[in-house]
Amino acid sequence: MALLKLAVRNLRRNRRRTAITLAAMVIGITGMTALRGFINGQRETMVENVVRGRIGALQVHHKGYVQNVLTSPLQLDMADTPELRKKLADTPHVIAVSPRIEFGAMVSTPDKQPPPEDGSMLPEADQGKTSFFIATAVEPENEAKVTPRRTNLVKVGHMPASPEAPELVLNADFALGLDAKLHEAGAPLPPIEQQLALLAGDRDGALNGENVVLGGTFPSFSPGDKRVGLVPLVIAQRVLRMEGRVTEYGIAVDALSEVDGVKDALQAKLGPDYEVHTWSELFPFIKSLNGTQDFIFSIISAVFLAVVLLGILNAMLMTVLERTREIGTMLAVGMRRRQIIRLFMLEGAVIGTAGVMLGLAVGLALVTWFNHHGIPLPAPGATVDSIVRPYVTSRFIAGIFAGTPLGAALATLWPAWRASRLRPVEALATA
Amino acid sequence: MTALVLTLLAAADPDVADLLKKYDEIMGPAAFEAEATMTATREDGSERTYAMKFLKKDQDKFRIWFSEPSAVKGQEMLRNGDNLWVYIPNLKRATRVANRDNFQGGDFNNADVLRVNYAADYDGKLVDAGQPDAWCIELKAKHKETSYDSIKLWLRKSDYQPLKGQYFGTSGQMIRSATFSEHREFEKGFTRPGRIVMQNELVKTRKSEMKTSRMTLKSDPPAQRFTQADLGK
Repeated sequence: MALLKLAVRNLRRNRRRTAITLAAMVIGITGMTALRGFINGQRETMVENVVRGRIGALQVHHKGYVQNVLTSPLQLDMADTPELRKKLADTPHVIAVSPRIEFGAMVSTPDKQPPPEDGSMLPEADQGKTSFFIATAVEPENEAKVTPRRTNLVKVGHMPASPEAPELVLNADFALGLDAKLHEAGAPLPPIEQQLALLAGDRDGALNGENVVLGGTFPSFSPGDKRVGLVPLVIAQRVLRMEGRVTEYGIAVDALSEVDGVKDALQAKLGPDYEVHTWSELFPFIKSLNGTQDFIFSIISAVFLAVVLLGILNAMLMTVLERTREIGTMLAVGMRRRQIIRLFMLEGAVIGTAGVMLGLAVGLALVTWFNHHGIPLPAPGATVDSIVRPYVTSRFIAGIFAGTPLGAALATLWPAWRASRLRPVEALATA
Repeated sequence: MTALVLTLLAAADPDVADLLKKYDEIMGPAAFEAEATMTATREDGSERTYAMKFLKKDQDKFRIWFSEPSAVKGQEMLRNGDNLWVYIPNLKRATRVANRDNFQGGDFNNADVLRVNYAADYDGKLVDAGQPDAWCIELKAKHKETSYDSIKLWLRKSDYQPLKGQYFGTSGQMIRSATFSEHREFEKGFTRPGRIVMQNELVKTRKSEMKTSRMTLKSDPPAQRFTQADLGK
């Protein structure tokens, strides 16, 4: 205790040096905290966009579907029964189940005017267009619970009123390219020759279609996903001649950390005819991206740490040099060499503790402020603002809090050892 | 060497425009009525057979009625000039489709069936056929509306009958290849292949086979058959 008092007093003797060392630590720790917070926030946003904006936390398919999704997605379907839905919904942590069919479809816009009586051709600008897109057939109400980020984005127009409503929701840029007119909610349907046609090959490849209108649009999440749209499930089942069947269930859970347990529980319940995938299995690139980010972060942290600790080491070396006579005196009056080591390491630990407290205070204040206000960071090419909300885990805070004073103490180990090795007579003789 | 010179001389003989005209006359005579079936084999090995009736008039008017299977019964297609329509009974109306779209989910595209006038859509030049009894024409698209970027076509020297075709996309990749066989005289003085097998070169397990069972060269089908208003009637 006496040593601690001495250590604190020693640090206060050369205030400017202590302040500079402290400043370096504060900057280093603030930087690390802010960077970690930003990486965490960005990761969360990305996962949110994928999980709550596109696919759901988990997906259930017929066995082999994911592997064969490009060749025969409609053949590997499942009977959509109330029992199956109940089975899925009654699993712990599952909060919503959304039946879906994903399929390639075409949307065809009507001609802008009736064909000329004389049999001549309409000018090209007035001709309807037919375009291919990737359709996801959903029950609007259930889908809103699994991917609320997507359905909430339908700001222009509305989500289909029901699974039977003949309304499409298309990507806004895609709809603009089609020059498709938006249908007001509740308004009577236009005559069929002015409606859109949803066309698709049925399960056996035969072309089929349904008359629909454009109910709403949603903006792009990321580049390259423009030709996409949502179709009410029953309408899609009619076009595909797949009444009562689906190819996918999107599943929402109450906590993303539980997905692996939920996956095992679902797989055990469903048996070998079904396959269950978590979002990270369906989007493996996120995991590898996380790995890369963590690697880069650890390199940056190491550089920060080295700079901070070298600063402490340097300051302490200076101190030992300056206080040679003093150390000689202490040794001469009977202080043990071990106590000298302890004194200098304590000085390091004290400055480390002060630095980490100040650094964390500034860093956490920054992270909290940005968490509150959010950093708008649109993905390149996307028209949806991604708000990044930085945060750090208590584990990270605890790690920094415990590690920095320890590191600072260790950094003083060498200067402290040098001080303890001084010979009292020689030390006293130094000018 | 002599053989080579002879082949070169022989190959240099015909006028390409003439060959294309011959091809168009065989595959898409000015006016005809025909019945055909198309069997599409998919990657999982399953097959589906469609039965249909064709009617053609002038260079650019084409109509198809589907009768089988029941899923497409009542479906019709119409080509009038550059416009392509499909009538689906469910929709109770016609809707536009594109040249490049698959014909009934098979390996022919719509233009392969409804738009056989290469002379209008492609520029041709003779290339080495690799076989002595045939000419090979390489066709390059004249405009963007064509369904392929280029085509290689082999025509039999003795009677101009098509033997095989290779169809390429914009990247230069072969998308499909066709084999023409069972050439026979459908009407006196009119011979054409009775069977065309279109092999999907991107997904090798997919192919479609078009078999023509009857073909008569009609002099003049009523023009009204080629109007939108007539679809579904």
